[in-house]
Amino acid sequence: MPRSGNYGYAVARIRAMEPLLLDAGFIQRMLEADGLAGALKVLGETCYGKALSGNAAQERYDAALEAELLSTFMELRAFVPDKDLVDLLRIQYDFHNVKVLLKSSFLAKSGGRKRWELMTGLGTIQADGLIVSIESEDYNLLPWGLSALIPAALAIWEQTRDIVEVEKVLDGGLFAAMLKIAEDLEMPGILAWVRARIDSENIRNLLRLKRFGMDAQKASSFLHQGGAVSAGTLAQLIAEPFEGWGRAIAYTDIGAAVSGVHDGGDFDTLIVSLEKALDDYCRDVLALARYSQDAPENVLAYLWGKEMEIKNIRTVLVSKGSPAGRDATERMLRNGY
Amino acid sequence: MEDVIVTMAGQLGPALVVLGAALSVGFAGSGSAWGIGIANEAAAGILTEDPKKFIYALILLALPGTQGIYGFLTALLAINKIGLLSTAVPITIWQGLGIFGACMPIAIVGFYSAIWQGKSSAASILLISKRPDQMGKAVILPAMCETYAVLGLLMSIFLLNGIKVG
Repeated sequence: MPRSGNYGYAVARIRAMEPLLLDAGFIQRMLEADGLAGALKVLGETCYGKALSGNAAQERYDAALEAELLSTFMELRAFVPDKDLVDLLRIQYDFHNVKVLLKSSFLAKSGGRKRWELMTGLGTIQADGLIVSIESEDYNLLPWGLSALIPAALAIWEQTRDIVEVEKVLDGGLFAAMLKIAEDLEMPGILAWVRARIDSENIRNLLRLKRFGMDAQKASSFLHQGGAVSAGTLAQLIAEPFEGWGRAIAYTDIGAAVSGVHDGGDFDTLIVSLEKALDDYCRDVLALARYSQDAPENVLAYLWGKEMEIKNIRTVLVSKGSPAGRDATERMLRNGY
Repeated sequence: MEDVIVTMAGQLGPALVVLGAALSVGFAGSGSAWGIGIANEAAAGILTEDPKKFIYALILLALPGTQGIYGFLTALLAINKIGLLSTAVPITIWQGLGIFGACMPIAIVGFYSAIWQGKSSAASILLISKRPDQMGKAVILPAMCETYAVLGLLMSIFLLNGIKVG
């Protein structure tokens, strides 16, 4: 039994909010707009208009997108019966902030500059509070297992001076925390989604590691536990050519998503196609709940849709100031909600 | 002792009728309240974002309310049959049991169909939140549950009419 079963109101409200999400046609309009100013003008006609007007300078669109996402998180958190459901998507930003702070502190020790401006306000922990905790080395009250993870990450840094090892520990902690939240919620659909996220992250990591010519034993230490497909099974894929990956895990749900990605020989194109397919897979895991009027998965599906929308907007806006062609930008766009 | 048994037997018939009438109102009415509650949650959700859809939502959330009316109507017919609203008509235990049984179709069918109609109405309210132009279809879908409540009501009325008293 779920911890709270009453999602009738929440799902209905989300359904009523859905028409405000931007569809593929609108993203195309932004893509066709003349320059960054044109794209921002088109975006200003939507629910992002308010956030954009508060960040008038063109370069501040990132802050506007962040403000819109934060406002969505807060709005849903106000009426969703299980607040942890919203936090499930927010804790990744807490871990991002911790990474920024730890790297800043490592940099500062070697005479570099602290990069606190890279922190985001989207997490569940107030950025100021997190800074104070890490600066004063008082981690006891930090949630999501961070009270133990941060000292562990610092110890690893002291021993290895390897930032990749530090990130590995924190990423592992993030997925363990997400898994714990999903298990505590006792909602099978939510747990399946977290497992899908872990599988997606593992496969994404695996492809990057393959590029560096890593073997299965080394690669397995970069994979996270708790996915629907065991990390050991996935690690064995690294020895295979990418075309064979989908076939090798065809018995799993994620196998079909990987099979649909074709290796055109260019790694950059391949990783973009794979990331898009994996994001679509995470969306599809929640798709069946769309037919239910009280399934809590709808909350996650909406938030995931909003995150993908913001990812698409950011991709289009960044493309306006970069030499990347329109085709390359279109390939990066995620499918909508 | 014999007198007591005769008196009890004389009162048991009307008591069974009252019990049947109470259950038809109680179960069918509870089902309606439950069903409306389910539809209400959905209606409140969409009205928070779009208050202009109030009329659509009101029509859909009122649909599970009919079972309560059917239960009330059946109860009225049952107690009227033995003259509880005017001059009492003496009935036997078997006649009382028959009227009690006649009240059961709408009591049971009314209870369950109202709950499922409430869920169906909630789903239709979600439908009109995105496609208000589909209001016709949105009403037809939960109305399918109504068929069985109407069948339950008709059966209760036929059975009540079939029992001769007085």
